[in-house]
Amino acid sequence: METIINVENLCKSYGDIRAVQNVNISVCRGEVFGLLGANGAGKSTTIECILGTRKHDSGNVSVLGLNPHIEKNRKALFEKVGVQFQEANYQDKITVWELCEVTSSLYKTPASYQALLKQFSIEDKMKSPVNELSGGQKQRLFIVLALLPNPEVVFLDELTTGLDPRARRDVWKCLSELKSKGLTILLTSHFMDEVEILCNKIIILKKGNIIFQGTVNEAIENSPHEKFEDAYLWYTDESEVAENESI
Amino acid sequence: MKAFNTMLKTEIKLSLRGMDMVIFAICMPIAATVILGIIYGNKPAFEGAEYTFLAQSFGALSTIAIAAGGVMGLPLLVSDYRHKKILKRFKVTPVSPALILAVHVVIYMLYSVVSLVLVYITAALFFGFNMVGGLQTWIYFLGSYFLIMLSMFSIGIMVGGIAKNQKTAGIIASVLYFPMLIFSGATLPYEVMPMSLQRVADVMPLTHGIKLLKATSLGLPIDGVLFPIILIVSIAVVCIIISIRFFKWE
Repeated sequence: METIINVENLCKSYGDIRAVQNVNISVCRGEVFGLLGANGAGKSTTIECILGTRKHDSGNVSVLGLNPHIEKNRKALFEKVGVQFQEANYQDKITVWELCEVTSSLYKTPASYQALLKQFSIEDKMKSPVNELSGGQKQRLFIVLALLPNPEVVFLDELTTGLDPRARRDVWKCLSELKSKGLTILLTSHFMDEVEILCNKIIILKKGNIIFQGTVNEAIENSPHEKFEDAYLWYTDESEVAENESI
Repeated sequence: MKAFNTMLKTEIKLSLRGMDMVIFAICMPIAATVILGIIYGNKPAFEGAEYTFLAQSFGALSTIAIAAGGVMGLPLLVSDYRHKKILKRFKVTPVSPALILAVHVVIYMLYSVVSLVLVYITAALFFGFNMVGGLQTWIYFLGSYFLIMLSMFSIGIMVGGIAKNQKTAGIIASVLYFPMLIFSGATLPYEVMPMSLQRVADVMPLTHGIKLLKATSLGLPIDGVLFPIILIVSIAVVCIIISIRFFKWE
């Protein structure tokens, strides 16, 4: 199957701190790939290196066959890539409709934001200022913005953090639909139930290293646990337990 | 072009909603014109002068909006958009974050031009001001006006681009803006300042810009304008080079 995102031996340090070490990722078309790990494990750094907003020290990155770190590729690449960032990056006092209109204008063949807002059930908020939306509505709006380019691949960073259970389920439903339509998604998350439902493949990062790579089921099978969340905690804790024992 | 136009339209709306520039770039110059008009009326600028005090101040009053946009508006806007990661967001779109900066330069330019027109209308309508010398005077005047705009705006972009955070940008902007507003002759006429204060004023780049505008608007001899032109152009060049070299997008 066609490889959409390919990362080979990615390394990135901040001074003495090795944020990401020898990370390899391969995501095929139509897959949902989960990047897991505790805060500070290197998830956001990895995403930023893949998107080209942060320079890596060594390794190769390609998205849709293009190197995002080469300036002349960026224009063509980001016509087909949607990105939702962890922080909310929008202007003061801007309304939902204005933000959608401006974002649409950046792309050659944007999707209809009216249709997307409707699909994500926030069309009645068109005229509201973005900062008056609830957490769930905001998060859905940012997914809408990431989908505006009609992308072949989207990057979603902690998409349901801060949402109530109902809002999280609404977001999952939307993403499952997109997945069934063949969209490639790379996401990060702290919620294992969400990862179990959405992701075909995962990697678990710890201190910048990959400590597990495979499917959710494989993760469970290779651990002494039966639930994925327990398995995840087992993977991320394991060496700490060992370290404590050696003390 | 579509992106630029849509952004321009939206950012103008956002800027008007913010009101700051409406107050500092539109209302304030008009208020200053009215005050000077009431105080000095049609009195000649000095005994035996061929032009009125208000005519002498017209150039100065028209720069209030440039200063507000250039050294206050732009630094705050650039650092705010960087802090909110709006500039960074543009890095993952087909459009460069430089486009949104260009949009804002155009917006502050529009504020300045609107302010110039309104100051002119106010001075002409209520205080009998007119620009002597016709078209040629206007061409020289507007040429100087846009030159000053270029240098003030490049200061603003530089400050916003290299200031560490919003707080620093705000402090630098205040340090540049308020003294410039009061002591460069933009509001308080240079001519009424005592000699010692004039010397302080001469340190500020805007003072020289205003001298240039005065010379062009009053049709004064051309020999005094070379120094201000060189100074203003040099400031623009230096600030633009520093901005290109050191601008921080995030």
